[in-house]
Amino acid sequence: MTAVTEAKIRRRVLPSPITGQEIVLVGVIVLLWAALAVSTPAFLTAGSIQPLLVATAPVALVGVAMTIVIITGGIDVSVGGAIMVCSVLTAKALVGAEVNLGVAVLLSIAAGGVLGLVNGVLIAYGRVHAIIITFGTANLFMFLGLRIFGSGTVNGIPGTLAFFGRGPDGRTLGIPHAFLITLVITAVAWWYLRHTAGGRHFFAIGGDAQAARLAGVRVQRRILLAYVLTGVLVGLASCFVIAQGTSTLDQSVGSGKELAVIAAVVIGGTSIMGGRGSVLGTLLGALLVQSVVSGVTQLGWRSQLSDLFVGIFIIVAVGADLLRARARRAR
Amino acid sequence: MRPRFTAAVVMATTAAIALTGCTKKNDTDTAASGDAGKKTYKVAFVPKLQGVPYFEAMNAGGKEAAAALGNVEWLYQGPTQADAAAQADIVRSYIQQKVDALIVAPNDPDSMAPLLQQAKDAGIHVATADTDAPSSVREVFVNQATAEGIGQGLTDSLLTAMGGKGKYAIVSCGQTAENLNSWIEVQKAYTKEKYPDAEIVDIVYAGEDQAKATQMATDLMNAHPDLTGLVGECTSSAPGVAQAVKDAGKIGKVFTVGLGTPQAMKPYLQDKSSTAAILWDVENLGYLTAWAGAQIAQGKPFAATNSVSSELSAVTYTEANKMLLLGPALAITDQNVDQFNY
Repeated sequence: MTAVTEAKIRRRVLPSPITGQEIVLVGVIVLLWAALAVSTPAFLTAGSIQPLLVATAPVALVGVAMTIVIITGGIDVSVGGAIMVCSVLTAKALVGAEVNLGVAVLLSIAAGGVLGLVNGVLIAYGRVHAIIITFGTANLFMFLGLRIFGSGTVNGIPGTLAFFGRGPDGRTLGIPHAFLITLVITAVAWWYLRHTAGGRHFFAIGGDAQAARLAGVRVQRRILLAYVLTGVLVGLASCFVIAQGTSTLDQSVGSGKELAVIAAVVIGGTSIMGGRGSVLGTLLGALLVQSVVSGVTQLGWRSQLSDLFVGIFIIVAVGADLLRARARRAR
Repeated sequence: MRPRFTAAVVMATTAAIALTGCTKKNDTDTAASGDAGKKTYKVAFVPKLQGVPYFEAMNAGGKEAAAALGNVEWLYQGPTQADAAAQADIVRSYIQQKVDALIVAPNDPDSMAPLLQQAKDAGIHVATADTDAPSSVREVFVNQATAEGIGQGLTDSLLTAMGGKGKYAIVSCGQTAENLNSWIEVQKAYTKEKYPDAEIVDIVYAGEDQAKATQMATDLMNAHPDLTGLVGECTSSAPGVAQAVKDAGKIGKVFTVGLGTPQAMKPYLQDKSSTAAILWDVENLGYLTAWAGAQIAQGKPFAATNSVSSELSAVTYTEANKMLLLGPALAITDQNVDQFNY
């Protein structure tokens, strides 16, 4: 067999490296950044782009796992509550026990993993739809978070997590650590989803779970894995959230983050019906949303305009996804 | 094998939740006191939300007043989120309990008004504290500070640090929050009048999200390289703007003030990323609220100047708008921050 035909076969087996939405998103982001660079000269400077990337990181990071969950045909609306639990636990450990960076990260990841396991077990083996289960656990997690808060904010959080923060300690060679970590995890997830059998199984489950089961995919185990992974990344993202907040943590932490994450996933071109999606698109979606929010502030426009733009992006992205699905059926 | 493993995992995780969830004592706060023969008055206070330091400090002040007055039972319960409907349920439950005085810090003044009417019809004395419901039947509003006091306090503190001139921006929170907006109006007018060389270049809204407030402050500093001041209009954006200045390495170049609670602002006041926090003595506000509740429950009128406690020796009352005023706004700096434990 010649190398040419081998390459041809490989190409046929492997899905396209990108879904199509990524090119559009890169185009939109480039245009937006160019427009912002012209209208507010300070936009394309390190002092502006670095914090923008830091602010993008937590949403994009949770978005990686959320993309996988949505690819399997599920959803996780409990990530906001889970961020609250992980960040208040970690913040209390930082203040009370003065744990170091490594311990704090491990603690947060472990806490997130347990919460993800609760979701995963209930969804994979309880056979109730994910939105019902995670809606329930979202409230449960919120209750748990508020109990841990007790009756007050967590004050005087030390700068242990500054490694992930907006300040000079959060960068190496000008690149924010939080964003770099997110980028690496996104790349690994992209490779795993595209090049391994295990990764392809997520798509198979989202396409048709019954067919996947008959084809020998361990559906329940895969689904459990998707939610545990979400919990683990929520744990890491919570460290980012603490690092880019202030030295005080209040009970509004995490609130509404589930919607921000789902917005990034949908704008990134992942089909909310499952079976198709891209973690690369999610990262770009999160970056686009944060660029719009920062752009609106830097241009001196009214803050609520960013809600309008994000809303339009979501509807356009879903519309484009439906058109693509229709084109595929017609083919 | 498989089902048993599943059951074990389910049990382990629920046990973990149960363990972590139930380690705290009951939240109910009552401070009953007084002699058996004397009538005690039930004074109930419904905050916008409970569990935040601000209202917990008010609760502490209320308990203190109940202990000092001797004939007051202080009841305190609020929703876990600043939600008008959840708050209304708590108000209804107090109406059913037939408390003697019911004081509310309404999340939504308009929807609270009919409920206060209901309470009044049930023979309960009603009042507002912290936030007013102006079009309601409330007998008195316990006001922490006037909009002028807050707005001018913020402006004076900031502009003193900025040298009386320069550009500054405001990071506010809820876009429809009436009290914040009334302070902003005063800041605009007062800046124009007293500091003609100063200018407010932008006002942005970050909601209650600290990280968002910090990011917006960062964006404002980038958009206006000549910015020398930032105001954090509420307790989540006050530390947020200071953190942004600190992260950008602009301490001493960009000055910040804000409406922050003392312990949350302490690290920023100490490293000079925040010049001052403008607030009032929240515990005293709680004390005054409980005292006012006891007064109306007993049907006692207010004098033009009231001696409430040793710290609150001259609380003014204005008949025209039925308002008790705690006093002037308080500037909290690195000098006096340790006097406050909330």
